[in-house]
Amino acid sequence: MADQGGSQHGIARTSRTRTPAQKQADLERIQQYRALEAHLRTAVSSSNYSRETFDLTTKLLRLNPEYYTAWNVRRRTLTFGLFSRRSDGCSCSRGCSSSSRSGTTTMSFGASSCSCSTRTPPGRGCRRTGRSGTTADAPVAQEEEKDEEEEEEEAAQKKDLETVKSELAFTFPLLLESPKCYWIWSYRLWILDQSILLLPVADAKKIWQEELGLTSKMLSKDRRNFHAWGYRRHVVGQLESDELGGESLVESEFGYTDRMIRADLSNFSAWHSRSTLIPRLLDERGAGEKEREDFLKTELNLIREALDVGPEDQSLWYYHQFLVDNIVSPVGRPTIVPTLTVDERVVYLTNEITNIKDLLEDYEDVKLIYEALLEYTLGLCQLEERKPEEDERQDLIDWVKKLKELDPMRMGRWVDLKRDYGLTELLPGGRG
Amino acid sequence: MESLADTLWDVVICGTGLQQSLLALALSRSDKKVLHIDPNDFYGGAEAAFSLQEVESWVEKVEAGKEGLFEAASVEKLEGDTGLSFPRAYSLALAPQLIHARSTLLSQLVSSRAYRQVEFLAVGSFSIFKPSPDSSQKPTLVRIPSTREDVFSTTAISAKAKRGLMKFLKFVLDYDSTPQTATWQPHADAPLTEFLLKEFKMDQELQTYIITLTLSLDGKINTRDGLAVIRRHLSSMGMYGPGFAALYPKWGGLSEIAQVSCRAGAVGGAVYMLGTGVKTMNNKEDPIVIELTSGDTIKTRKVVRANESATDHSGINRLVAVVGSSLKSLFESTVEGAPTPAVAIVAFPAGSLSTAAGEASKSPVYLSVHSSDTGECPVNQSVLYFTTGSEHASKDLLQQALDSFLAAVAGDTVPQCLYKLQYKQLQSSAQSQASGSIFDFAPPATALAFDDSTLQSVHDAWKMVLGDEAVEEEYLTFADREGAMDDDEVYD
Repeated sequence: MADQGGSQHGIARTSRTRTPAQKQADLERIQQYRALEAHLRTAVSSSNYSRETFDLTTKLLRLNPEYYTAWNVRRRTLTFGLFSRRSDGCSCSRGCSSSSRSGTTTMSFGASSCSCSTRTPPGRGCRRTGRSGTTADAPVAQEEEKDEEEEEEEAAQKKDLETVKSELAFTFPLLLESPKCYWIWSYRLWILDQSILLLPVADAKKIWQEELGLTSKMLSKDRRNFHAWGYRRHVVGQLESDELGGESLVESEFGYTDRMIRADLSNFSAWHSRSTLIPRLLDERGAGEKEREDFLKTELNLIREALDVGPEDQSLWYYHQFLVDNIVSPVGRPTIVPTLTVDERVVYLTNEITNIKDLLEDYEDVKLIYEALLEYTLGLCQLEERKPEEDERQDLIDWVKKLKELDPMRMGRWVDLKRDYGLTELLPGGRG
Repeated sequence: MESLADTLWDVVICGTGLQQSLLALALSRSDKKVLHIDPNDFYGGAEAAFSLQEVESWVEKVEAGKEGLFEAASVEKLEGDTGLSFPRAYSLALAPQLIHARSTLLSQLVSSRAYRQVEFLAVGSFSIFKPSPDSSQKPTLVRIPSTREDVFSTTAISAKAKRGLMKFLKFVLDYDSTPQTATWQPHADAPLTEFLLKEFKMDQELQTYIITLTLSLDGKINTRDGLAVIRRHLSSMGMYGPGFAALYPKWGGLSEIAQVSCRAGAVGGAVYMLGTGVKTMNNKEDPIVIELTSGDTIKTRKVVRANESATDHSGINRLVAVVGSSLKSLFESTVEGAPTPAVAIVAFPAGSLSTAAGEASKSPVYLSVHSSDTGECPVNQSVLYFTTGSEHASKDLLQQALDSFLAAVAGDTVPQCLYKLQYKQLQSSAQSQASGSIFDFAPPATALAFDDSTLQSVHDAWKMVLGDEAVEEEYLTFADREGAMDDDEVYD
């Protein structure tokens, strides 16, 4: 399994003893690292954000991706020169002269920070002074300049695309090695955001779509990685945003949760994602009452089949609870079928209780079944605004008894429940 | 350099079958002088993989009685321009065994670093062949569910049956603890089918699923063995990635492991001589004197050989068929993120086939379908390995299985069989044994999945060769040779 870090392939990882030769090699490595570090500090203190410095960060980050200062330096080398324009829309070529923002001494190589504050979208940079000569008077000459500019623009964007791609490629092996290092992820997200700001929509969209593919790969390696699911939602959100064309991904994401569930029923994150997508899914499908009811029935069937094979699995019960809540307590939020009458709700809930009781035939000792039965039976009584009938009461008593047996750790809860609902057994003769 | 005759060898290993080759691997870091010979001009012995040309020479040898464990070999080629490629485009395996992820063989290949040279492919679905209910319908293949998620997704079983199956799967995963042991131990020697019926109320269909997972050649596996094998399968599931429980080495199955092991032996200094066998051996002297078929006479302290004689006439019949179709539908991975499998298993339970004479099959037939990803055939073709326990009508039965399978997977046209190899492999109940300075490996098992018990003999042979110098911690546990993994590249 992916997380058997300390024991791969059944062999425990033991600490290696180092020979004197290996120790010497290690000392040399440490020296090399320190030298790189010193170089970087020198470069930063002299505000040298050149290609050289960029290469320095490459070496250092391969050795130590946790060195977050190096990531920041790398960002600066990109914005101060290696990206053809800054993300605030200004194409700062070498010729651009202005006072530097931070007020430090002028850069030795690469552009100084530009004081252009207007943000222009990709496709239009600010005019470069001193480049194509003075502005021409004749319109013909102006057009020629524009074409030249467009060409330069395209070339610049192409270069930026290459830079974005190579930066993503750079972080990838680092992520494989250190998948939980926040700095790498943060840098990667920054590059992805830069792609929206710097590249034409089609290119940026493609980059983000590849990122979606990456999250799928991550999730197939570790299906319940909570952070990966969150990251995926972020990526989906960006792909759906106006900046990238604004297409809804709700259907394909819903399909994705389906595949993930079929790969691993016990995937709480997948079930959760599914539940968050449902309201929008139904809206976008333009589902009327009939479609909504069909959808609800399909989901209930799905979870019932899942419970048939995995009644001990909490994630499944949570999703069942989600569906039942949709039926029983729809107040104040979007529900699957908002137009159900009370009678219809009662029918649904009664059905569910019957089905769950059925599970008891084959699964006698699964406490989650009894918990669900308790909760739903009491819920049914509430829905119908009545007290439990005699046979229901007997059931409830039996179930609490079973729960005390199966889950003695929560004895206090079962005792309270018994008391609150008056679930004491009647002795023969009718006295409790 | 010393000549063959001048060297006092520490061990002469005869034959490059899997067991002997693993021994060579195990000895590859010792300072022992190893001479490894094989009368064949190919590596792998009874586990070899052949090009079509090599198949034909091998068949000749078998028919001439020169391969002790094999008989009744024949080759059939389809007439005309069939699309059969040149001989070296094929690598037909004599031992197409699948290796469960939990197998000790894999962990030994890892700890000895030999795994780096083998490419492993995933073994995908296990299916059952269902004969057509009437002449208007095709026969079908039904996937066997072996994980909770499989059981969830399958539409072929009722809800009630699913619950029963789940209870059994859970039982098996923990079958060697209490209270499960109390449930099955009274039935340990009884057939697994009886146990499934009595304790889990499984119907015929579910019983068939479970028995198929055991790959039992006679379908009569007992409860003790059956539970062990199923547990191995279930606990192997997902170990190296989602959706598969077993692996298969590319380029010819166990033959590849034998070759890689011999290569490691050679790197470690062993001398290899193919096309060389033992002419005479005088083991009354110390050191043992051997005259090789090459004419050289050598002296050695120990000898390791393989027993090539069968103890009984039972065994397996095999049909290897090259088919002119990629059979893509069998190799689709159904689990998100799972690798594309290169091997698919299909079982024909007893009774699902009938011979030309109309007799229903009495024992199961197993089929291992290999896609071209295994390197065993060119793209757009597949190799089918049919196996059944030898019985009177086996050859005929295997042909039935082939025809029925092709009917089941037929699209608009029925795929054509381009090439057929058939043979019988005898089995032996003999154990490996050491006698004085000579160690004899037992003949290879004819099971469809690799059995770890084979590895015990290799270990015994290794101990015999090294004697007091054997260090248990170093058995098949090596460091990478220098230069194999270079971390310093990062510093450039």
